[in-house]
Amino acid sequence: MLKGVNASEGIGIGKVMLIEEINLDYEKRKITDTQKEIERYRKALESYCKKTESQAKKIRDTVGEKEADIILGHLLMIKDPGMSSSIEGNISAGCCAEEAVAQVCDMFIGVFSMAEDELTKQRASDVEDIKTGLIATLLGKEEADISCAPANTVLVARDLTPSMTSCIVKDNIVGIVTEVGGKTSHSAILARAMEIPAVLSVENATTILKNGQEIIVDGSYGEIIENPSMGEIYAYKDKTVIFKKEKEELQKYVGRETLTADGTKIDLYCNIGKPEDADTVISKDGEGVGLFRTEFLYMGNTSIPSEDEQFEAYKKTLLKLSGKPLIIRTLDVGGDKDIPYLGLNKEENPFMGYRAVRFCLHRKDVYAPQLKALLRASVFGDIRIMLPLVTCLDELLEFKSMLKKLMEELNSQGTPYNKDIPVGVMIETPAAAMIADVLGKEADFFSIGTNDLTGYTMAVDRGNPDVAYLYSPFQPAVLRSIKRTIEMGRENSIPVGMCGEAASDPLMIPLLLAFGLDEFSVSATSVLKTRKIISMWTREKALEVAEKAMSLNTEKEVVKYLNSVVKV
Amino acid sequence: MVSQTFTITNSQGFHMRPAGAFTTAMGKYQSSVSVIKDGNKIDGKSIMNLIAACIKCGTEITVEIDGPDEEAAMKEAAEMIENGFGE
Repeated sequence: MLKGVNASEGIGIGKVMLIEEINLDYEKRKITDTQKEIERYRKALESYCKKTESQAKKIRDTVGEKEADIILGHLLMIKDPGMSSSIEGNISAGCCAEEAVAQVCDMFIGVFSMAEDELTKQRASDVEDIKTGLIATLLGKEEADISCAPANTVLVARDLTPSMTSCIVKDNIVGIVTEVGGKTSHSAILARAMEIPAVLSVENATTILKNGQEIIVDGSYGEIIENPSMGEIYAYKDKTVIFKKEKEELQKYVGRETLTADGTKIDLYCNIGKPEDADTVISKDGEGVGLFRTEFLYMGNTSIPSEDEQFEAYKKTLLKLSGKPLIIRTLDVGGDKDIPYLGLNKEENPFMGYRAVRFCLHRKDVYAPQLKALLRASVFGDIRIMLPLVTCLDELLEFKSMLKKLMEELNSQGTPYNKDIPVGVMIETPAAAMIADVLGKEADFFSIGTNDLTGYTMAVDRGNPDVAYLYSPFQPAVLRSIKRTIEMGRENSIPVGMCGEAASDPLMIPLLLAFGLDEFSVSATSVLKTRKIISMWTREKALEVAEKAMSLNTEKEVVKYLNSVVKV
Repeated sequence: MVSQTFTITNSQGFHMRPAGAFTTAMGKYQSSVSVIKDGNKIDGKSIMNLIAACIKCGTEITVEIDGPDEEAAMKEAAEMIENGFGE
């Protein structure tokens, strides 16, 4: 059995289609008829550009604008007069077209990767893509054509390039296996969007797995079974049936309100990362968005998205949600999320450093366009603004005065916006949980970010295997912070939500219901399951469980106890 | 020949998008366009050379344009740079 990252759930049983990297070896030839060779180069260039344009169009239609822009950038580069004239110059000097392309591209790859500036360094990989594409075209080699893959195909590749993914026919591909990429990689996002089971980061997958070989891809557990026995195939087919049945069972909860067993209404929202995700929120029956991570607007870009660009993205998301609430977290840069063009310095201790609202309040030139875009978009629906990583009241007050100034600017321009736009605080540091009573007087809502709250409360990096065992939202310290935050929210009559993974955890849900959480924000795929679990609890029963759980002294005891009373 | 000195104000300098917009705009003119940074002359119609030059926010550059439509080209160049490439 091979193991990898479980990037897209479900089980696929099928035959391997191996997508080999193109062999770009060529013979160096001395060219005498240089004019003819230049013509050959120009023809290849033209067909490369045409192909790239049509790929960009396909990706724009199926994936999104940003992904398409990356490919269109390649066109700008290859059409550079300096680039083309150097390539043709080298051909005139007697190089064959392949060699001329390689020489000029390698020169730029060298220059870019030597640059001190991170953003320039990244451009080297763009030139690398251009080089591969052009030489392949010159050699008459094409990337494997996935569009003609037969039914029950499992795609196995080192990585899926955007051009490959644009050719996937959903009905024929039952699984995806790659050697690189994690849960947030391009391939993973695409696989989930198309509901194709996927296991990524499988070491040496393209050498171990052979063309035509039968395999089982278990995208829920990140496992691959090679040459399965009949018994295994039957077992997994059963699993597929159960998986489908569970899915169908959950369909009963589509279109229902989220109610506890004794009829308390709960808001069940989703976490999203880009405007297009709002479509999934609607299709999975989410009641709104509890966390829109805006970094992806910045990260998929090569420069700061302009105010207008952001306005369009927020407006688009709102229109898709048709009146449902949209809680937008303002730029949460720093920590593990670097955005090269913002020019942040490397820090000794980035999680304790210059990130999120700390960065934004210092760099108002970066922050203001986002806030203005949010204000302008607020007339198109129910936008609520959420500040990440707040640790003291000053930050919230400074933010509010900044927002007020921007509102005055808009007033003088006569631009409409929602004057009562709610401003909430993310409770994701122990500091914020401790002063939730104070923050609650100024904030319009709280949202508990359990991932960071757990990390900061336990002072643990969950990526470090030596200490990861401490990372659990069921640690009494974290549970107390959550409980306190919800209580302080209620005391100040403001709603409290949760947008971490814990909000969809069957063990956590009864505790949250007992504490009085108003809003659960989960991944779109967990909406129905969470709705079902919430519907199983009465307040009385939840209180009883919470009282017992909170009286226990260790995480182990808490989890053991919850496991004994929660039927999943 | 016309020449004018600017300070780059958009936060990420001459990167992919701004450089692309600038070279596309300058490509329309017959005149030659150069960008001078620290005494080095860079072809203002080449996105690759502009990116390679690492022109960041706060850098002072001189734009030199020479040719029949130099005035119009400089007017457009100045507008783009001063508006921070519409960021």
